Amino acid sequence: MNSIQKKIWTLAAVVLFIMMAIWGALTYYNQKTQNQYNDILQRYLRMNEVTSASQQTITDLNNYLLAPNDANLVQLNESKENIRKARLEVIDLRNVDNDFALTNYMNLIDSLVETTDRSLMFLSEKETEDSAKAFSEATRISKYISDMTLTLLDTELKTYDRFYRSIIEQSAELKKLGMWLLLLITLLLLLFTYWFSLSITRPVLKLTQAAKELSRGRFDLQIEVESNDEISFLAKMFDRMRININNLISEIQQKAQLENELQQNKLLLQESQLRSLQSQINPHFLFNTLNTLSKKAYLEGSEETSDLLASVAGLLRYNLKRLDRSVTLYDEVKVLRQYIEIQKARFTERLQFHTEIDESCLHYQIPALTLQPIVENAVIHAVEPEENGGTIWFRIIDGEDRVTIEIEDDGPGMTELKIKQILEEHPVETEGHSTGIGFSNVVRRLRLFYGYEDVIGIESGSGSERGTKIMMKISKTRGNE
Amino acid sequence: MRKTVILILGLACVILFYFTFVSAYKVFRSEWQLPRTSAHKQAQYRLVLITQELETPFWVKVGGGAIEEAQKNGASIEVWGSYNKNQEDFLKKIEIAIDSKVDGIIVQGLDTEEFKNLTKLKAAFYGIPIITVANDVPMAESLRRTYVGSDQYLAGELIAKQLLSDMGHTGKVVLMGDSRQEYYQEQRLKGIYDVLNKYPNVRTEYAETADTRQQVIATTQDLMNRLPDLDAFIAVNANIAEAMIQEIGRRSKVEPYHIYSFDDSPDTFSLLVQGKLDGMIEQSPETMGKISVNLMIKWLTGEMVPLNTDGYLTDIRMLKAANTR
Repeated sequence: MNSIQKKIWTLAAVVLFIMMAIWGALTYYNQKTQNQYNDILQRYLRMNEVTSASQQTITDLNNYLLAPNDANLVQLNESKENIRKARLEVIDLRNVDNDFALTNYMNLIDSLVETTDRSLMFLSEKETEDSAKAFSEATRISKYISDMTLTLLDTELKTYDRFYRSIIEQSAELKKLGMWLLLLITLLLLLFTYWFSLSITRPVLKLTQAAKELSRGRFDLQIEVESNDEISFLAKMFDRMRININNLISEIQQKAQLENELQQNKLLLQESQLRSLQSQINPHFLFNTLNTLSKKAYLEGSEETSDLLASVAGLLRYNLKRLDRSVTLYDEVKVLRQYIEIQKARFTERLQFHTEIDESCLHYQIPALTLQPIVENAVIHAVEPEENGGTIWFRIIDGEDRVTIEIEDDGPGMTELKIKQILEEHPVETEGHSTGIGFSNVVRRLRLFYGYEDVIGIESGSGSERGTKIMMKISKTRGNE
Repeated sequence: MRKTVILILGLACVILFYFTFVSAYKVFRSEWQLPRTSAHKQAQYRLVLITQELETPFWVKVGGGAIEEAQKNGASIEVWGSYNKNQEDFLKKIEIAIDSKVDGIIVQGLDTEEFKNLTKLKAAFYGIPIITVANDVPMAESLRRTYVGSDQYLAGELIAKQLLSDMGHTGKVVLMGDSRQEYYQEQRLKGIYDVLNKYPNVRTEYAETADTRQQVIATTQDLMNRLPDLDAFIAVNANIAEAMIQEIGRRSKVEPYHIYSFDDSPDTFSLLVQGKLDGMIEQSPETMGKISVNLMIKWLTGEMVPLNTDGYLTDIRMLKAANTR
């Protein structure tokens, strides 16, 4: 059964029960009182009956004496029968107080009957004088009976005086009881109804408030309703709905973020492609020219120039082709060496380049053109402006599940602001990079490629300490593949 | 705030509950049971003591003794009667008792024709035994079983002897009696005469009066007018003593006269205490009551059949004014 319905039924049942109880008690009490009243009345009526029966007997006897016919005799016998019956009924009235008087009373009735019979007997024997005497005696006895009736009634009143008074007191008390009962039931019902209505309305109120909060867009407040009826079920469903909506919203938000990133990625790609297209204006012409220049230099005996030109050509080809795909660390390192070779031709002794490479790590995947721009950055900031040149260390160190790539220089270092800008992928003005790819571009591509934020770290000495150290921790297995 | 409200409501509930339950308890407790049929079985014998002078000290004592004795023997007794010697009422009570078929009637004797009729004819017809108490009516006239009370003849003798010892052997004595001439009064007179007649110097004058107050006063006046040198009065019927003494007191001092009476009137004892009465015969009313009931029960049970028809006499003694003061 439904719970609210159950509650209403309970309320109705309680009220009904109280009413029934009161009705039952009152009926019982009423019945009891009525019985007692009946008993009392019966007593008086029975005594009165004796008096009237005895008087009737005398009247009938008189009639018969005056006119002794059958009709009068029948009547006389009837009234004698009546008085005998009345006598039998009087026996029940006996109690401690009227014991003596009642016995006398009954004997008086007997005497009356006997005297009546005697009178009749004398009449039948034609002794009219004796008959009349007996009649007068019967009349006297009848008078005594009336007197005795009064005496008995008087005794009765005395005996039952306390009883009658208690009846009066009790009826007064009953009135009082009614008042108290009314007050009590009113109070109880009011309290019960208040509690009952509260148990229905309070959860509804809570639910309303929760709905209001939801409509305002606050999805994070839990809906708690302490009750055991449908409202609590409703509240639970409501809460589940809230949680679902919450989940959906966060999903949508995530999706939006993802899409946003995708968009950015696409833009980046397009930019790169545009640049590569720009720089591809006539790559074959450049290759061929560079190759021709290299051969020519070789033929003219300038082998060093020839090698340099070949490096430039290789670097150029790599730049143009490999931007949007992943390559192995080995390829990257190879390009890096070509680049350093070119730079060495430029800076000669001013550029010191030291490598510590763990060869076993070279087959791991890495986005194309990540190392070269960073090293180029180091060259531009740490070597170029220095009169005595600079030193760049390049290390590949095998880790447990990540390979650490460190590029360290001994230049003047970076400011905190700059580091922050780079790590937050703000576009930084490129200062003449050969590939046109900036530091922040590398950072973004690395993060996108590996899918975690701490793929790159920058340590830079500030003040008296010099040097910048860039560490890349690349996963041995690409996170999202 | 909330706590206070709950507290107040709770308190109100408790108070209302309390009063409701107290009230309900009062209404529903069944204390007012009707007095039911008496548990003890009916008394074996129902006796009635009937007197003409209800509520006088003398008869209250008789009644007390009778009730006490009846309770002892498991009989039930009621004291009926008339007030102030209302004979009609008295006779009616006797008739009711007879018609009510009581087991025994103990009655103050009344020396009248109606009384004798009732006892001799009606009571005998119904077979109800009658014992006279205090005042007797001869057996032959009343068919009483026996008499319980003082020997009135002896009482008369006693009072005459006292008179002689107080007054000496010469003097004029007035004997005043009720004109009804009841048996017990005759007995008393006889006793007095039997003593006084032995002394020739003592002159007796007998006067009769009706028992109304005016008659008593008139008779006393008449006597004192006729015989101015009186020495003593004896009120043979105690009921006339008070009016008589009042009248004497109006004429002269009461003290010089020797006045005597009996105790079966409500006034005589107080007159004795006041000193207006020189002597009074005191009877034993309680013993009368006891013995009469006792005898009645013995007769009813057949323990003592027949009873002594001469009667069972109870103690009498002379009570003098000098002793009571």
